[in-house]
Amino acid sequence: MRTFLILLGKELRSFFLSPVAYIVLALFMVISGFSFSQAITLLREKPSEMSIVQWTFYPRWFFFYFFFLFPLITMRLFAEEQKLGTLESLLTAPVRTVHVLLAKYFSAVIFYCVLWLPNLLYMGILHWVADGRVEIPTGPLAGSYLIIFLSGLFHIAIGCLASALTKNQIVAAIICFTLILLHFLMGMFLLLMADNYPVEMTGIVNYFATTQHMSYFTRGLIDSRAIVYYLSFTALLLGTTHQVLEYRRWKS
Amino acid sequence: MIETQNLTKQFVGRNAVDNISFELKRGEIVGFLGPNGAGKTTTMRMITGYLPATAGTVRVAGYDIFTDSLKARREIGYMPESVPLYDDMRVKEYLTFRGKLKGLRGAGVSDNVNRVLDLCTLGEVRNRLIGTLSKGFRQRVGLADALVHKPALLILDEPTNGLDPNQTRQVRTLIGQLGSEHTILISTHLLNEVEMICGRVIIIDKGKIKADDKPENLIQQLRASGALRLEIKAEPTVAQKKIAAVPGVRRAVQELLPDGWLLYQIKVDPGADVREALHELANSHKWPLRELSLRGVTLEDVFVELTQR
Repeated sequence: MRTFLILLGKELRSFFLSPVAYIVLALFMVISGFSFSQAITLLREKPSEMSIVQWTFYPRWFFFYFFFLFPLITMRLFAEEQKLGTLESLLTAPVRTVHVLLAKYFSAVIFYCVLWLPNLLYMGILHWVADGRVEIPTGPLAGSYLIIFLSGLFHIAIGCLASALTKNQIVAAIICFTLILLHFLMGMFLLLMADNYPVEMTGIVNYFATTQHMSYFTRGLIDSRAIVYYLSFTALLLGTTHQVLEYRRWKS
Repeated sequence: MIETQNLTKQFVGRNAVDNISFELKRGEIVGFLGPNGAGKTTTMRMITGYLPATAGTVRVAGYDIFTDSLKARREIGYMPESVPLYDDMRVKEYLTFRGKLKGLRGAGVSDNVNRVLDLCTLGEVRNRLIGTLSKGFRQRVGLADALVHKPALLILDEPTNGLDPNQTRQVRTLIGQLGSEHTILISTHLLNEVEMICGRVIIIDKGKIKADDKPENLIQQLRASGALRLEIKAEPTVAQKKIAAVPGVRRAVQELLPDGWLLYQIKVDPGADVREALHELANSHKWPLRELSLRGVTLEDVFVELTQR
């Protein structure tokens, strides 16, 4: 545990002392802020079935920027250490590979959570400015944050795996983005199939389709199937990453 | 301190390290020599547990590096060949991080970090970013990292690689000082360095151990079957015959120097010393003699003899 905390501290430090982190943070705030103000404009123009929370966390354009976050956050985790050779000095120190893996993973998760904090501030500001006249439903807000967190865990684990596979950060980013997009498109495909075969497909769709999860959770419907799905896949991906790191030691 | 038994590492299609066994006793400084690609780095990586062996075992301070890896690794201070460091950290910060990682706690952290900063004369750069340091300083930061947790065993892979002569001397002096407290395994290409600081030398080539002895003994063995240099003034054909007839002389190569003197490069049998006999021969024939010397054999000659094909 002590080793894990020391490593986590070091990873967080290198996240928050690098300019890349602040560029990502700034860009993300610009995009999510723009998205939020668009949501308000749309809601002002005409009545909508979707609440302000849904418009913020799950607008139609959400996935255009959401998936770009993960390669940016995760690409350097292992690729950089392998390129510099520091993985050798790290793994010959008295630390377990699993400590190194979890420290890197959770540093990325913490950074990801920090990225989403400004959105909470937007909600607070809206509530304050509108003097309580805009209804901000707390259930859907909690649900939204939960699904953002869960899918973050899952997608960061994909990024971890991609970064462990190569020395080259660009290659890691491309692998990560491709895997995320494949997973998303598969969900979309199943969702489209479900239009034709509603009964047979419902079960699979509820597990697989990212958009379906987002739509449920942002309405405040906490679906345990999605929770199980994301958590178990995260564990699987981290387990695979651990094997990849150990296998490198066997091979090289 | 280190015991390796039948250590073997196979990479696809070749044996990088082939069935080597050796032992390091506590307090020894051992030079690990061999041409590039001989398997030095691979062996060191197996000893530090970075690479697992294909066959054979390594024990460090009594712990098996594979089954008792963490305990064994706590005893090792390892400086890899390329001295990998985090460029975005400051020197003191990096050493503090590494010290904690290697199990230092509380006041022990800053005490030990200050100790190695002094030891490796890094005081003036303690707050500099590692990325901005010169090669010599980086090398010393790597060494300080290896030393920070007071390991019983130091494994240094080419610690003076790429340093200028002054820096090489500094690092060498430092390693010499460390010998009193640590067991050291050091790989290098600089043979005079090994002669100066190592009590024992292991020479490997193509993954096999070619020699394992004190440097003096290795030199002695080669010198025994070594070469003499003789310069006289004499009738070439007569002198050639007489010298070749001296017991113990294996072969004498004659050369006429521009100033009229004759130079002989004489190979002698192992263990034979023919200098006295040659002197008397020259005396009895009244040949003027201006040089009779045993050519100094260095560790370099031993190295070339053992590893050249």
